[in-house]
Amino acid sequence: MIPPRTVRLLVCGNADRGDDGAALAAVAGLLPCLPPHLLAVLEVRRCEQLDLEDLLDVPTCTTCVIVDTAIGLPVGSVITIPLVELPERDAAASGPNLRSTHVLPIGQLVAIAQILREHSLDGTFVGLGGRSFGFGRALGRPVRAALPAFRTAIEAALIEAATSSVTRTV
Amino acid sequence: MTAGTRPRRPRTQRFEVEGLTRVEGEGSLKLVVRDGEVVEARLGIFEAPRYFERLVQGRTPDEVLDIVARICGICPVAYQMSAVHAFEDAAGVEVDPAVRALRRLLYCGEWIESHALHVYFLHAPDFMGYASAIELARDHRVLVERALALKKAGNHLVSLVGGRPIHPVSVRVGGFYHVPTRSAMTALRPDLTAALDIALETVTIVAGLDTPDFEREPRLVSLRHPTDYPMNEGRIVSTDGLDLAPTDWEAAFEEDQVGWSNALQARTHAGEVYLLGPSSRITLAAGQLHPRAAEALAATGLAEAIRRNPFRSIVARAVELVHATALAIDIIDDYRPPERPAAPWTAGPGIAAWATEAPRGLLFHRYELDERGRVATARIVPPTSQNQAAIEADLTDFAPSVLDLPHDAATHRFEQLIRSYDPCISCATHFLDLRVDRRP
Repeated sequence: MIPPRTVRLLVCGNADRGDDGAALAAVAGLLPCLPPHLLAVLEVRRCEQLDLEDLLDVPTCTTCVIVDTAIGLPVGSVITIPLVELPERDAAASGPNLRSTHVLPIGQLVAIAQILREHSLDGTFVGLGGRSFGFGRALGRPVRAALPAFRTAIEAALIEAATSSVTRTV
Repeated sequence: MTAGTRPRRPRTQRFEVEGLTRVEGEGSLKLVVRDGEVVEARLGIFEAPRYFERLVQGRTPDEVLDIVARICGICPVAYQMSAVHAFEDAAGVEVDPAVRALRRLLYCGEWIESHALHVYFLHAPDFMGYASAIELARDHRVLVERALALKKAGNHLVSLVGGRPIHPVSVRVGGFYHVPTRSAMTALRPDLTAALDIALETVTIVAGLDTPDFEREPRLVSLRHPTDYPMNEGRIVSTDGLDLAPTDWEAAFEEDQVGWSNALQARTHAGEVYLLGPSSRITLAAGQLHPRAAEALAATGLAEAIRRNPFRSIVARAVELVHATALAIDIIDDYRPPERPAAPWTAGPGIAAWATEAPRGLLFHRYELDERGRVATARIVPPTSQNQAAIEADLTDFAPSVLDLPHDAATHRFEQLIRSYDPCISCATHFLDLRVDRRP
């Protein structure tokens, strides 16, 4: 019997660096509202700066949802991108050019992880455009206003990941 | 129109790169070349000022340690170390020898993390003909896996001693809030032993890389200690004879605001540029390298090339990987938990200043403490802002040798040169675009 796939939620950012804390704030508000069957397959990990090891550590039978604030998007806008498309987006430099506070861009991290992993890394990136990342600052107004939409997008990505898990298990 | 009757217009050449990649942080560089001569080289760091010096005002020394660690996700230990030594020196605190060793171990972890990241993911692709670490990983999977093993060994050290892998929280004035057990330390040894082998192999690999033929006579500055390779302690020395206490950086250097950068640029009082970092430390303190690192350096035969050619800094960084890994093993083998994790101390007024060696070079802190022992004013001088002017000078000297190359190749060389200094622009900025104007 194939074990059910789980969903790993990687929450990136720092709560004390302005808009960089948006993913933490969104997930903190979202988790208590998630249905039990989704919580049962969900594993939440916090990673201040997304590292290659965070992606290499994702088990084979697990779908990954990465949430983070990103530069390169209109401030307060939410974007959902399949992980497999992130490296191409980096290379093409078309559309929103996602950047973050990570040393290597997220597209490069995903691409390297795809190469080093024995199996592909399935999942989704959900990003929120940020602008103000000063130490000690609170979330900016546009980002605060976009948190409900960000939460909705994260929830949709989690449901999609869990649903695809069931489909694959079947 | 008759050719030759008009005076020839100077030939202007322009290069432009939007977003220099594979550096920590982002900034901009503009190079103007007229008739083959660089007339303007500007490394711009234009993130809005982050006001950390203002943020720490009114704070206690222990609060400062946690705040300054937030300046950088790559080198938070360096910020904590310069600050904690400054406060302890001002208060006359004598720390337990085991605490001193633990702090060196914490610094080893940061050097390993930072250097492994830079050597393999940020700089090696330049020398091996790859546009990014992705292509490198595709063709040299084993190499990248070894880099990750090295980095992981550093992460584990910082996690154990610092309390967590990024922005450690265990350091306090007088010592640590918590110190690891001997068994927890010993558990790290197998990974570090494997990491040492990888580090030694790294030296061999990078020493064999082809580098651009560019040599100059730089003014190099680092700490130097009678017995230890410079990390937490030592005097500020230079290749032109400087010799200062680690509290006295301001006696030789000053910062100035330039119009194209939000980070202050540092020079000597005479206006001369200088360079910090692994090449400086190797040049000025090779005698204190761990024997394993000294052997590795000698085997390369590149000590002089490291001093003169900035592209060879990748070798210096690899040698320091060996040093940090071997030193970490020694410290773990000798470790006995301190009887007291922290020495008592009393806050009071005064001047607290100190310099330590961040992965990218000398990091100076100075704090004026008020009657309650809280920070009244602060000055933090990160290595990348000190290197800025020297990088601009090197770009100016290097440019003529590549101007005849195709535009993209020349641009790549400029980027590669900038990456040689491992700029941690995140400490001061977030955006780096490279723009080079070639004016005939």
